[in-house]
Order: sequence, then structure tokens, then C-alpha cells
Amino acid sequence: MDALAPRTAGVAPSLPVAKPQLDLELRDIRKKYGDFTAVDGVSLKVPKGQFVCLLGPSGCGKTTTLRCIAGLEDPDDGGVLIGGKEVTRDPPWQRDIAMMFQDFALFPHMTVAKNVAFGLEMLKQPKARIAERVAQVLASFEISALADRKPGSLSGGQRQRVALARAMITEPRLLLLDEPIGALDYSLRETVMLELKLLQQRTGISFIWVTHDQNEAFSLGDLVVVMNHARIEQQGTPEDILQRPATAFVASFIQGNNVFRGTVLERAGGNVRIETAAGVFIVPCLGASPEIGATATFSVRAENISDTVSERHPNRLTAHCTAVEYFGAVRRHIFERADGEVLKVDHFGAQAARIAPGQSVLLGWQVEDTVLHQGIPG
Amino acid sequence: MSTIRVRSAASYWLAVPAAVWMLGVVVVPIALLAWVSLWGGRTFSPASPLTVDNYTKFFANKTYLQLALSTVGHTALLMVITGVLGYCIAYFLTMKVKSPAWRLILFLAFIVPFWTSTLIRGIAWVPFLGVNGVLNQALMFTGATRTPIEAFLYSVFGISMAQVSLYTMMAAGPVIYMLNAVAPQLREAAMTLKAPPLVVFWRIVFPLTLPGVVIGQVLVFLNVMADFATVATVGGNKHAMLSNLVLLFYEGSQHRAASVVAVLLMICMLIGVVAAMKVVDIRRLGADR
Repeated sequence: MDALAPRTAGVAPSLPVAKPQLDLELRDIRKKYGDFTAVDGVSLKVPKGQFVCLLGPSGCGKTTTLRCIAGLEDPDDGGVLIGGKEVTRDPPWQRDIAMMFQDFALFPHMTVAKNVAFGLEMLKQPKARIAERVAQVLASFEISALADRKPGSLSGGQRQRVALARAMITEPRLLLLDEPIGALDYSLRETVMLELKLLQQRTGISFIWVTHDQNEAFSLGDLVVVMNHARIEQQGTPEDILQRPATAFVASFIQGNNVFRGTVLERAGGNVRIETAAGVFIVPCLGASPEIGATATFSVRAENISDTVSERHPNRLTAHCTAVEYFGAVRRHIFERADGEVLKVDHFGAQAARIAPGQSVLLGWQVEDTVLHQGIPG
Repeated sequence: MSTIRVRSAASYWLAVPAAVWMLGVVVVPIALLAWVSLWGGRTFSPASPLTVDNYTKFFANKTYLQLALSTVGHTALLMVITGVLGYCIAYFLTMKVKSPAWRLILFLAFIVPFWTSTLIRGIAWVPFLGVNGVLNQALMFTGATRTPIEAFLYSVFGISMAQVSLYTMMAAGPVIYMLNAVAPQLREAAMTLKAPPLVVFWRIVFPLTLPGVVIGQVLVFLNVMADFATVATVGGNKHAMLSNLVLLFYEGSQHRAASVVAVLLMICMLIGVVAAMKVVDIRRLGADR
């Protein structure tokens, strides 16, 4: 896809290099619709050429945040900076962005070629140049054969490519994607995700990708931003969020975590002992300093729970297996804890410990695999 | 295989009542009209020899031709005025009025007058436009004029005023429908592709609502061409359109001449509709979406 070569910086080399420029900065964005708070103080910094995923359940404010970046919504308060330039009150057509909509929003009365050419026509480029660029981009997205078709006659996958070509042709600084593969068949999604990831890396354009699907977020994002109830719960690399969920919400929203809730009994070195309905467990504090007697939540990932318990596993409980599920290479055992809650334990194919439903098993995990959450759980 | 049997014979029977009705009140009378328009000879009877003499006579008369031309010109002017006003009303109602309650109230305000007959609404302009009418009284009260302006009533101006009020909503209705069907994301997508609002309108919204505009224009065209009542009442017999000529000949018992004009009027309308279909295939409306 040579047509979409990386943005060549037009900056004279003699200029002093200031602090690294951000592609996007959100400063405490707020947006209300009547009594409903859609976005409540969202701040975010996106360095150059990042793949950012806004992840959260529906109604968490991720789409409104994206629309504030696009200029399609006016934030009540806060600032939006694109490429270091304040654009909070600028209309969408004056921002260095492009957007891909969930249903692709292709113009039904225009051919594919006209759809793709639209952005360049708006930039008032000469006709010959536009025709040349459109031909290049259609070829690079492998949709040249569709050039004269109308969107109504295209399949979902073809529409997705046309929408992407139409957005990318203007070479924006930011590409905003609102659930861009949500309308595609499952069988297509993996291929399309990989293509988009490669496209993002090759072009160096920052992608802001809104999704409720954590698989998308974790396989694509350089930076994953988890949102809930109009706020950012946690932002970090996929590893951060998978291994160290910051809040009880993140831990329960991300698949494969077992969340415990209890009371802090005492401190012991860098750890605390927390009493839950399922027993007393040792949890590392890692900088946090929970008060004795306070309510706290922590989690442990399903794959970190072992059924061959040794002295390495001071956190232990006995649970009753109720079901076994298979996810490709992973076998997930569903247990019922003493307090009636569900406990998930994942085993990979090789560790073929076969626990049958109905068995009661002693399970354990290491202290360092236990993650204490911030904030006082509601 | 679909269980909906398109070719089932039973479905044709469903069309029979309407077909019989249309045959009786539309097709047969029009055929009769066309037949009568071709009657020659001195006596008015079905035994008359068929000839095109009646048509030749019509086309030989310069006054009639000018009348036909001015009718088409007047209709075109009405189409432009109602088209622009109608689009503005439709755009305002669908895009600018956000509250559903207000939208309904305003829509009813536009629609309720249509519960009155066209004739009454046409005549209602007489006391408004007349020498002692509301408009002249208001102008004299404000001092804009000292003597009443007679040109308002019984003039082409008066006829146009009345017809604009009668037919603007016909132009607006189909546009309202089409505007509602334009997905907001399309306008947003255009904006994120650097199109300012006027360009979004011209490149996205207007082309997508063009079928509505054309349908509205066809309705206005047909109604204005056929509207003899408003012309007669507000025009006060000083002005005539083709449709008034039909009435005139009919009242003078010149049935053959009346038929000729009626047939020509129908042909004009047919040409108009065919031309509209060339611009937008209204039969395929919505098939792209």
C-alpha cells in the first residue's frame, strides 16, 4: 500500500525540537445531556502514531468522547488538542481528523470512486491529482473493481474497505473509528483487524478505536483506555490492564478475572491480609496503603489459579466444580466458592488436569498473582 | 424458495374493484373526450366524421396559443416559488425543530388549512387582497400608500399569491419525507471529510432529497395546470389559463372545442410527468437505501 506512505514531516530540520508532540490531548472533557452525564472529566494523552482503544460497556461514554474529538459534539467543559493545536470549539471540517462510522455512512447516491474522492475534493485538489490518488488508494485497498458501483450493492466487508479508503485518503493526523468492525461477520473480523493494525503501523496515523469488545482492544491497542459511567477507569498497555486491573470494575469487565471483596485485617510487610466470605487472603499493596478495617477488592486471573497446591501458594480455598468449558487451547473450570460466588480456573492443554464437574478441589495461587484494586468499591 | 407466490391468480382478483372503478370514471371518460374532440361535421352526434379540424382551428388561433404559453409560464413560476418555499419549510421542520411536540404543532399549523376545500381557500383571498381588503388597509394605515392598490386582486399577482398558499405544502410534503430518511451520519461523515455545512447540503442532503423535490413539483405542476377555480375567483374573469378555456367553451356549448383544449391540457401534463420521471425515477424510490 504505497499510496499510504508515512506522513513525511514537513518541518525544517533546523527548528529546535520541543517536547515530543502529542497527536491528541483531552483535558478534562465533560458533556451532559440534560441530567445524563455522558462524559465526566476524561483526560487522555496520545503520543504520535499510537493505536488507542476506548473500551467499555455500552453507554459508558466512549462514543461521546470520540464525537467530542471529531467535533460532532461540543463538550460542556474541557479542552481538545489535536497535534498540539487547541480545537475545542472548531467544527469538524476544520480538524485534522477522519472518521469511520459504525454503519460506514457511505454516501448512497455516489459511486465508490466518488465516495473515496470526496475528501480530496473538499481539499480543493486539482481534478487530475484526485483521479490519480483515488486510483492508487482503490488499488491499495483492493477495491478497484468496485469503483463504479454504488454502496447499496456492496457486501459488508466491501463497504468497510470503501469507508476506510474514504477516510484514509486525506491522510489525517487522527483516524477515529466507531466500532468499525462491529457490523462485519465474525469470520471477517480477525483478518480485518490484522490489516488495520498493519495499516496503522505503516502510516503512522494515530487510530482512536471505540469498541466494547475486549479482544479487539487487547489485540490492537498500544494504549487501552477502559471507561465506565462516563469516566476513565484505567488506561495502559494491554498487559497492564490484563495483569494489573486497577479497579473492581476493570477486573470484572475484563474476562478471566476472579474478583474478591473483603475487609482489610492487618498489614504484613508489603502485603495486607484481607478477609472475604471465601477465606483470608494475602494481597500485595504495591504502593497503595489500605486502611485496616476498610473494604477492599482484589482479583486473581483464572490462569494463575493452580489445582496442584504447594507451599508457593499461600492463598488457598476449596471449591466445588460445576462445569467445564472449552475455548480452543484453554479449558476453563467453573467452580462454586464457599460464599456461593463463581470462581474461574483456566488450564492450558498441556497441563491436562482433568477435574470433573461435581468434584471438590483444593485450589491455590501465589501472593504476587493477586492484584489489589484502587478506590473504595461501591 | 419463497412461499410468497407472486404469480398467484388470486392476487389479480384483488385489483379488480379498483380496475373497474378506474375504467368507469377515468379511462372511459377520457376516451370519450378524445373521441368527441375529433368529431367533425355540423351536427353534434356520434355519427360525425372523424377529423383533426378542431385541433387545426385551435392552433391557427394566436390568442389560444399565447394563452397556452402563458399557462405554462405561470405554472413554471409557481413551481419555482412553491419549490423554494416548500424546501425551506421542510428543512426547517425536519432539521431545525428539535422538539417532537413543536414539530407536530408546526406541521399541523401547515396542514390544518387543507381541511377546508381548495375553492374556499382560494375565495378567502378576495377579502384579503381587495380594494378595501386587509392588505390595502394595512398598507394605508402604515402610510406605505395613500390610495388602495387595485392590482392585488383580479390580477396575476393575486392568483399567484393564492396558488402559492394553496400548493406550497404539496411541494413540502414529499421533501419532509425524504429529509427524514437522510441518516444524520451521512451529514456527519461529510463534515469529518472537511465539508462545510453548505457543501454538505449541496453534495449530500439535496441530491438525496431530489426525488421528493421532483414529486412535489409534479404535484404542483398538475394542480396549477388544472386549477381553473382560483383563477376564476381571484382572477375575476379578467385572466384565464388553459383550464378556464375548457370551462368557457363548455359554458358556450362548444363541446368539441372544450374537448380539444382538455385533451391538449392532458397531453401537456403527461409531458410534464414524463419529463420529471427522466430526472428521477420515482417508481424506484427508496430502492437504493
